Amino acid sequence: MNLASPFALTVWALIALSLLGLPIGHAMIAASILYLLLAGQDMGLAAEQLLNGLYNSYVLLAVPLFLFAAELMSIGSMSDRLLRFCNALVGRFRGGLAHVNIVQSVIFAGISGSAIADVAGTGRVIIDMMTRNGRYTASFAAAVTAASAVIGPIIPPSIPMVLYALVADASIGYLFLGGVIPGLLMAAAQMAVIALQASKRNFPVEEKVPLREWPKLTVEAFPALMMPVILLGGIRIGVTTPTEAAAVAAAYAYLISLFLYRSITARQTYIAVLASARSTASIGMLIAGALAFNYVVTIENIPQAVKAVLSAYDLSQTTFLIAVNIILLVLGCLLEGSTILLVIVPIFVPTAQALGIDLVHFGVVVVFNIMIGLVTSPYGLLLFIVARISETPLASIVRDTLPFVWAMIVALIIITFVPDTVLWIPRMSGYQG
Amino acid sequence: MIPALVAAGRWLRRRAENIAAALLATMFIAFLVQIVFRYIFNWPSGWAFELSIVCWLWGVLFGAAFIVDEKDEIRFDVIYGAIPPTARRVIAVVTGIAMLAIYGMSLPAVADYVAFMKVERTAYLKIPFNWLYSIYVVFAVAVLVRYAVLVWRAISRGAAPSAGAGDARGR
Amino acid sequence: QAALAQAKPKLRCAAVFTDQDIRAEAFRAFGKEIGDMFDFEAFFGGTLFKQGTELVAMQRGNLEMANIAPQDISKQIPAWSILTAAYLFRDADHLQKTFNGPIGTEFKKMARDQLGVHILTPVYFGTRQVNLRGTKKVNTPADMAGVKLRMPPGEAWQLLGESMGANPTPVAFAELYTALQSGAVDGQDNPLPTSRTMKFHEVTKQFVLTNHLVGYDVFSVAAKTWDGMKPDQQAKFQAAAEKTIAGSTAKHLAQEKEMVDYFKSQGLEVYSPNVDAFRDSAQKKYLASALAKDWPAGMLDRINAVR
Ligand code: NA
Ligand code: NA
Repeated sequence: MNLASPFALTVWALIALSLLGLPIGHAMIAASILYLLLAGQDMGLAAEQLLNGLYNSYVLLAVPLFLFAAELMSIGSMSDRLLRFCNALVGRFRGGLAHVNIVQSVIFAGISGSAIADVAGTGRVIIDMMTRNGRYTASFAAAVTAASAVIGPIIPPSIPMVLYALVADASIGYLFLGGVIPGLLMAAAQMAVIALQASKRNFPVEEKVPLREWPKLTVEAFPALMMPVILLGGIRIGVTTPTEAAAVAAAYAYLISLFLYRSITARQTYIAVLASARSTASIGMLIAGALAFNYVVTIENIPQAVKAVLSAYDLSQTTFLIAVNIILLVLGCLLEGSTILLVIVPIFVPTAQALGIDLVHFGVVVVFNIMIGLVTSPYGLLLFIVARISETPLASIVRDTLPFVWAMIVALIIITFVPDTVLWIPRMSGYQG
Repeated sequence: MIPALVAAGRWLRRRAENIAAALLATMFIAFLVQIVFRYIFNWPSGWAFELSIVCWLWGVLFGAAFIVDEKDEIRFDVIYGAIPPTARRVIAVVTGIAMLAIYGMSLPAVADYVAFMKVERTAYLKIPFNWLYSIYVVFAVAVLVRYAVLVWRAISRGAAPSAGAGDARGR
Repeated sequence: QAALAQAKPKLRCAAVFTDQDIRAEAFRAFGKEIGDMFDFEAFFGGTLFKQGTELVAMQRGNLEMANIAPQDISKQIPAWSILTAAYLFRDADHLQKTFNGPIGTEFKKMARDQLGVHILTPVYFGTRQVNLRGTKKVNTPADMAGVKLRMPPGEAWQLLGESMGANPTPVAFAELYTALQSGAVDGQDNPLPTSRTMKFHEVTKQFVLTNHLVGYDVFSVAAKTWDGMKPDQQAKFQAAAEKTIAGSTAKHLAQEKEMVDYFKSQGLEVYSPNVDAFRDSAQKKYLASALAKDWPAGMLDRINAVR
């Protein structure tokens, strides 16, 4: 590649601007404009891509709505009650709350199809719980939260799998089913990391809660515990789509706080709305930047370049899967997930098919891999978000995330080379692949 | 005169917060209306669907322009957070000028695109797209003003923008 | 450096369908046919410009070619909305004949004069059929009463849903599978191969062959690019488009036939309702709508008369 081409200069500029501390969203928009200038194209295109991208991405609306639900849950004492309940339940185990964080993500995975919505919805609450009274460091709490949110789009429903099904012509239903075991496997891998670290880092053990207090704690936490059930029920019986479920979550949290707990005032409501508006804008800028930069990657035909490199080698099934996993893990450090799914993955699909790799298996592997990319530095969307939520420097979060990333890579290797981990449930349900 | 300006600035800021909060609240309510209309009354509610998307677009760009603080911004602070304040000051001037140059140069082309969009209207509410998308021009101008202020501050007062909220704990 | 100076002009082309689509194959073949004149570069899957934004991209000179939905043209030229009406074209042949004849010339001229876009040929991609979760048989529009039929967001689509007697409900395409699975909507309408690709048959029970809308886009080139060609180049360009798209149309028709058998083999009901009852009801609704005010006088009859 020509190191002084408009594209190369743009990538250098993006790296420099981001490393020098500009907000990532602004840096990506600026880099995109710079590319248009250098390539002699219409500089209005950055705005065009960003505006049309935001206007046409309806599923992203789950993000601000889950952010709002989270604000309401934490202002309206719902999270306090949930904390006391969780504490009674698993606090006495070493690293108990960290385990709760994982289990909670598995439960919420059944509600939400997007990892960002998971972090936005539950991240704030659980980070508060974990860091209160210095139980855990904020960076570790943030790391567990980011890592566990990755489970969200692997266990159905899943927005990334819908996108994959679109580009690969694979069954959405079987893809969803194929994600169940890998999602649980990922949760197990993460809980293993916590168990290993629990004694080494001397994670806290909470005081044992007497059995006679349990009924009261359960009743108090009951509305919060019912939330996943209500959301899941709403989706299952067809009242809401997964995106709308986010709005139901917020409405539910508000009504419970207002009428049942009587713990929220008009002033607090305004504060919650404003806080969510603020987080929406800062996370939205990141998405906006990715939308603008996506144009640069597409018009430069980066996918075709990768295809050419791939076809230069005569690959076997195994080497192909290894190569794809490595490429995606590297790209996951640099690009946003849906860009990879829509722009890069279609290049691999025909080769996978030609090599006789099952496309449902391949899809789950690809989505699993791209989800790991959400927590790998430098471009890990979830890392940025938990850094923002937990008000913790990124560097320390990255450090605490690493053991989880390695554990997830081990899980990735297992689902890559033992296709039955993915295909067993779909086949039980009639999949012929 | 300066205190009056500061007071006016605070007042404007609070109004900006009111607007951003109203956008989010409207989006939320439009969503609920959509669910209720469809599920309970079985009425088509395309306008509510569209209203929620309009509020999302405006919420992001209006919010990024007026209510997101330097400390709210999502940034890669691994390196920036570790360097000494003097170097940070120099960097703030350099990156700030880069932002001013790039956003500034693109502004005419952006305005041209937004103005061109008068040829289309939204599907239900019939909002002309040039109005809807004008929020980007507002956003771009706000970015220019913000970076001009940051550069000016870094030069005149020696204050560099913080490396994000986490960094503030150390002070 | 001489090679650089003689480099062929680049034609950026955007389309929403994916890389694996029959139409993508046809577009690539088109690129080969005009390979001695232009460097044709296609971007599929809506990756370069989002669905519905291609027309403006062409008008602003950021795109030389695109596969444009007639609904998008009607946003700027209201008269074009007649070409998006339900039960207007009987089939792919009727569509092609209309575009090739004097009516086509009139509509193409509007696009050329008002948008600076030269239309080469319609690109057929299947006829929309109703696909439902429920098992209740549908024969007339009355049987569709209360059915939450998913429609793409937009007023023209809403009218289409209403004209079928259903309750049009906007749901994003990416969420449609889960919406059908859970019952957030009762049905959807798409050409049969699309329903197959998106696996909607996994979560629905029946296909009603309403044949209500002949789905097509228009393969277009920026007028500026078109005018820059010599007449013999234009003829070659036009012929290449017609030839490759005709191949794609034939494949689509064959595929639609296959799909009927495929869905039956998957245990779904596939049957024809009283199409005349649907056509009468739909044309009445359309003529009474605000859209029809912008239709050229007598156009509906003229298009109906094309044989
Ligand atoms: Na979690
Ligand atoms: Na999920």
